[in-house]
Amino acid sequence: MVDIASLIIQQSINGIVMGCLYVMVALGLTLIYGVMNQINFAHADFVTLGAFASYFFVKWMGGGYLISILVAFLAGGVLGYIINLTIFAPLRDRGDELRPLIATIGASILLENGSLLFFGPVPYQYDTPYADAIRIGKIFFTEQSLLVVLVASAAIAALYAFMKFTFTGKALRAISQDRETAGLMGINQAFLIMLTIVIASAMAGMAGAMLGPILVLTPFAGASVVVKAFAIVIIGGFGNMEGTIIAGLLVGLIEAFTTQYLGSGVIDLVVFGLLLVMLLVRPTGLIAEKKEENV
Amino acid sequence: MSNQASQKSSFPRWVWFALVFAAIAVIPMLVGGSAYWKSILISIVLNIMLAMSLNLILGYTGQLHLGHSGFFGVGAYATTLLIQKAGFNFWIAMVASSMMAGVIGILLAFFATRLKGHYLAIASMAFAVILHQILLNWDSMTSGPLGIYGIAPPPAMTIFGKLIKFNDQVNLFYLVSIFAVLVYIFLDNILRSPIGETLRAVREDEVSAASLGINTKLWKIFSFGVGAAIAGLAGSFYPSFVGTLVPDSFAVVESFTYLAMVIVGGMGTMIGPVIGAIVLTLLPEVLRDIGDARLLVYGITLTLVILFMPGGIVQGFKSLISKKTSTTSSSN
Repeated sequence: MVDIASLIIQQSINGIVMGCLYVMVALGLTLIYGVMNQINFAHADFVTLGAFASYFFVKWMGGGYLISILVAFLAGGVLGYIINLTIFAPLRDRGDELRPLIATIGASILLENGSLLFFGPVPYQYDTPYADAIRIGKIFFTEQSLLVVLVASAAIAALYAFMKFTFTGKALRAISQDRETAGLMGINQAFLIMLTIVIASAMAGMAGAMLGPILVLTPFAGASVVVKAFAIVIIGGFGNMEGTIIAGLLVGLIEAFTTQYLGSGVIDLVVFGLLLVMLLVRPTGLIAEKKEENV
Repeated sequence: MSNQASQKSSFPRWVWFALVFAAIAVIPMLVGGSAYWKSILISIVLNIMLAMSLNLILGYTGQLHLGHSGFFGVGAYATTLLIQKAGFNFWIAMVASSMMAGVIGILLAFFATRLKGHYLAIASMAFAVILHQILLNWDSMTSGPLGIYGIAPPPAMTIFGKLIKFNDQVNLFYLVSIFAVLVYIFLDNILRSPIGETLRAVREDEVSAASLGINTKLWKIFSFGVGAAIAGLAGSFYPSFVGTLVPDSFAVVESFTYLAMVIVGGMGTMIGPVIGAIVLTLLPEVLRDIGDARLLVYGITLTLVILFMPGGIVQGFKSLISKKTSTTSSSN
C-alpha cells in the first residue's frame, strides 16, 4: 500500500504551487473588475508576455532568472499601461459593459497574433536554475516550487496590505464601492484606475515569468491559465480579494487531485463543472459581499 | 422601435428578398472554379446564421452570452453521430440535433434567469469550455481530439426531375443559403411582432418589464432556446461541408468570433450580424496575401471598429447617411 498520507501531502503541495500562480493572475482580474466593472480578456496576454520577457532576459541578455521575474513584472505593467491608455480609458464611462469587453477580446487577438508574428508558433523552452529537488521524507518538490510559493505569497501579501492599509488602497476600494461618490470626495479616478490595471498586469506578468519554465511557451500559452483565473474569480466572488485567494488555492488543489485520481484531461471539466454548480448554489461567490441593487 | 420597419419602407420587402435571392444565385459564379472560395462562401453563410442567432440572445434580449460555440458544436456532433451511429437520415438528424441544441440552450437559460451581466458571461463561457472538454474526452463517441473523418454531405435530392448532389459545393451553398434566408425571415417576423417588443423590453429594463406583467424568465428562456436551435441548425451543416469534425472547431474562442461579428456589424439590428459575419469571415481571407500579419490586422481592425464605431458598421453607415442627407431630420 502506497503511503496515502504522503501522497495527499505531495499533491497538496503541487496544488498550492499552482494555486499561488492562479491567485496572482486572478487577483488582477478581480481588481480590474472591482474598480471598473469590467472583464479583461487580454489578461492572458499579460501572462504570456511576462513569460516571454523572462525568456528573452535569461536567454538573450544572459540575465539571472530571479531578476527576470522583476523584468516580467515591469513588462506586464507597461503593457497594462498601454492597454489602459488605448482601450479602457477611451471606453470608460460610456455606460456600456459589452463594448470594453469586446475591445479587450480584440486587443487579445491583436497581441496574440502580434507575438505570433514575432516569436513564431514553435514553443520556446528554458530551464529555471532552481530545478533541483528538495526531499523531505517521501515528499519531493523542486526549488522552483519553493520559489514560486515564496515570491507569490510575498506579492499577494504586499498587494493585500496595499489595498487594506494604504491611503491609495482605500481610495481604490472607495472607487469599487461607489465610483461617483468617490469622485466627489476628490479621488482621482482616472489615475487610480490606471494604477489598478498596471498593478494587475504587472502581477500577471510576474506569474508568467514563474510559469515560463513549466509552460509550453507559445503566444497562446497564457490562455489556459486565464480561463481558470476566470473560474477562480467567479468562485471567489467578483471583486473580492479574500474570496479570490481562497478560490485560487482551492482550484490549484482540485487540479492536483484531479490529475492524481481522474487524469489531467478532465481538469477543465471538473473546475468548470464546479463553477456552474457554484453559480447555481451561491452566485455571489464564496464570501458574499453585500451590494444593493439599484432599481 | 419602429425605426427598423420604417428603415426599409422605401422599398417593399419582396424587392429586398428578390435582390437577396439574385445575389445568392449569382455569387458562386463570381468565384469561378475555386473550391477554396466556394468553401469560404459556405462558411460565410453558416457564420451569418450563427451571428443572427447570437444577436437574438445578445442584441435583442440583452443577455451577455459567450458560449455560442457550444450550441454550434452540439448541432455538428449530434447530426454526425446520429447519422453514423444511429443510422438516421440527414434531414431527420438535422431537425433532431437542432432541437437538442435548443433544449441545451433552454438548460443554459436557467443560468441566465438567475445571473446577470458578467456572471452570465462567465457561466456561458464555462458551458462552452465544458462542452469542448466533453468532445475532447468522450473518446468512444467523438473519437476525442483525433476527430471524425470522411463525413458525407447531405443526400442528393431530386428537384423538378433534376438530381441535385450536395458534394457539389455550389449546391451546398444554395442549400445553406435557403436555410439562412428562412432563419432571417423567421427572426425578422418574430422581432417585429409583439414578441420582439417584449424581448426588447426585457433588454432595456428588466425590472420595469416585470412590473408590466412580462414574465422575463420565460422570455429569456425562449430567446436562448430559439437562438441555440438556430446555432444547432448551422452546426448540422458544418460537418458535411468540411468533411471532418474536430473538437477544436468548437473551442470557446470561436464564441468570441461570433460575438465580434455581431458587434462589428451592429448589435440589435437585423442586418448588422449579416454584415458583420460577411466582413469578419472575408477579412482574414482577403488579407491572406500578407501572411502571418493578417490576424494582426484582423485584431487591429476589430479593436478600431469597437473604439470608433460604437454601433457597429450599420450604425456608422446610418450616421454617415443622415449627416449627408439631413439638416432637419431627427436622428434615431
